[in-house]
Amino acid sequence: MDPAVPLPNSVPFGPDVERGFKKAILRLVKGGPERLAIEAGQIDAIIDPGSGNAILLPAAQRALIERKVGFRSLIGLAFDWYWELDERYRFVSHRGASDDADGIAEEGIIGKTLWELSIDNMSEADWRTHRQQLEWRAIFRDLEIRRVACTGEVRYLSMSGEPIFDDRNQFKGYRGITRDVTERRQAEALMQEAHRFDGAILDALDAPIAVLDQTGTVLTANQAWRTLISTHSGVGTGVAVGSNYLALCDDACGNERVDGRAIAAGIRQVIAGERRLFRYDYGCDSPADRSWFALSVTAITENGQACAVVSYEDITERKRTELLLGLEFSVAGCLADADTATAALQSVIRAICETQRWDCGRYFCMDQSAGVLRFMESWGIPSAVIEQFLERSRGMVFRPGAGLAGRVYQSGQPLLMLNSARGARVSSTALAPESSENGACVFPVTADDKVIGVLAFSGSTVREPDDRMLHTLHSIGSQLGRFLLREQAVNALRQSEMRFRVLTDLASDWHWEQDGDFRLTRVVGCSAFGTADVLGLTHWDLPLVLAEVSWAEHKSQLAARWSFCDFEFAIVQPDGKQAYYSISGEPVYDEAGIFTGYCGTGMGITKRKRAELELRESEARLRAAMAGAHPGGERL
Amino acid sequence: MVRKKKGRASSDPVTATAVVMVLYITDSGPNSVRAVANLEAICKEHLQGNFRLEIIDVLQYPLRALADGVVVTPSLAKLFPLPAATVVGNLSDKSGVLRALGIVE
Repeated sequence: MDPAVPLPNSVPFGPDVERGFKKAILRLVKGGPERLAIEAGQIDAIIDPGSGNAILLPAAQRALIERKVGFRSLIGLAFDWYWELDERYRFVSHRGASDDADGIAEEGIIGKTLWELSIDNMSEADWRTHRQQLEWRAIFRDLEIRRVACTGEVRYLSMSGEPIFDDRNQFKGYRGITRDVTERRQAEALMQEAHRFDGAILDALDAPIAVLDQTGTVLTANQAWRTLISTHSGVGTGVAVGSNYLALCDDACGNERVDGRAIAAGIRQVIAGERRLFRYDYGCDSPADRSWFALSVTAITENGQACAVVSYEDITERKRTELLLGLEFSVAGCLADADTATAALQSVIRAICETQRWDCGRYFCMDQSAGVLRFMESWGIPSAVIEQFLERSRGMVFRPGAGLAGRVYQSGQPLLMLNSARGARVSSTALAPESSENGACVFPVTADDKVIGVLAFSGSTVREPDDRMLHTLHSIGSQLGRFLLREQAVNALRQSEMRFRVLTDLASDWHWEQDGDFRLTRVVGCSAFGTADVLGLTHWDLPLVLAEVSWAEHKSQLAARWSFCDFEFAIVQPDGKQAYYSISGEPVYDEAGIFTGYCGTGMGITKRKRAELELRESEARLRAAMAGAHPGGERL
Repeated sequence: MVRKKKGRASSDPVTATAVVMVLYITDSGPNSVRAVANLEAICKEHLQGNFRLEIIDVLQYPLRALADGVVVTPSLAKLFPLPAATVVGNLSDKSGVLRALGIVE
């Protein structure tokens, strides 16, 4: 609707004028129903048969004027200028809806085309496109032009137009509106600047960060995120701006130890406001190494819509430290639980392999007598290749300084050979028996600052050692060395005890122990007391044949904590004969030096005693015979 | 302004007896607006879509009104079924309109 189109007729209003007008028009109307309708006020206009024009009645005219004023007011809110072009696209009309004289009118645009004005944001190609639109008589909307006013002020104007055709459908030009969108553009520019600033801040952060909308679509992301998604092989791969992160988590798969659905559920909870923060730690395996990431999701509100900020943190170093610390504890536990050096070595090697994801480990012990390192124990993952490799290792010996193990033994320092390094500088054939086909980690096992052996591991994930790793290797080597040395000493002691026990068993029939009150607490072997229950009794409580004087003497020895030897006594046997025994004992003291009883051995001496007795009796008989043969009492 | 309103499709057998009308109005004059509203209500209640209505704004097409013999607006001309009839005014006299349209209540 053209707001400039004049009203069909213009009649001043007022009661008298209205009455006169009605009289005048009633003269034009001949029909009865029409006249009645006019009288009843139900008519808006009459058609003048003479001129063919519609003549508005005052009430209708007022209504139309009010409506047009209202309409003009309304459309005045929608645009700033109204304009018309002739059929050669030259401005023929340009009126402002407001008193604001700025815009494009100030330079006198009547008679000029739009592309003849000073507009600096349209290229020649742009103008060609626009002219083509006009030639096609197309409606154009929001053609944005930028011009610099006389004051130097930059104004942004948005123009929309439609073609005009007359009654015969002949093209007459264009008409349209212009809106000043400078403030909006400036606001947009400010927002873009703020957005750029926010983006720069995000890009400055090391952690990969992305903002998701309610559906999980990535609204924005920083540079670290973009780098991550191009290099990362797990969750987050390829999730650029515009992609849906939640959909990817729902379908997550790959080589990661990660539950994509758990992550998606956590993000949805954050977006739904059910939780403020969601954290998820996960490991990411690669052929050469394993990395760990901590995923954090926090909630924010953007334009009233709940969003989620997803960030990644590389926690590999922290996780490795935790694992190494855990490995040290694990090794300590293995050593505490192990009964033998073999069991300890196997469990320790296994713990190290499983923690570090190495294939196998071997222990070479220093044979001091031969002066070589000998293969002693191993553990490997169940694999034919590894088993063959370990099998080849059995019987392998290294002189100090020879091979990886020998060099580590000689230097006392760990030696790590990365998988990638061997191809460049080391012959794989030469090292194959020592480190399989992969990298190697060899470190000394020490005790009392002395290398007593070498642990050698093989695996594809052997990586460049850091201080923490070297500390752990040193700690494990020391723990294991102390254990092996102690185990060696314990074994020596055990063997010594065994030898002593064998000798004791050969030299006596039984051995016994007493408490501080001289009551028997232990009797082992074939004792003089047979199967009788003698525990809890003293020797003098037993039915032994011994003179009181001898008992008194024995008790005084015990009271003085003296050792005694060959204390003899007899026991009457069921056949009435006496059996003879001899016991020896020595006092026992605890670590604090307190007397705790006696221990000793016993042995049967019946045969010897009887022989002695027979000898004595024979001697007596001989004396008697001698005395009978020489009555004078001559002695032999 | 020419507006045309149609009830049912022409293939409908009822079309043969559809009421054909022309309403002459003056843009958005108060009586014209009221006449349109009154006629809409009557059509909805009594014709159930079985009609064809053309609305002509005499400010745009004054000669059309003169050619049809209309001298005041709003005016409703029933063209079919015959006999033709004309109702003048804002159509607030519902019974008069129904009579002109040949509808017996």
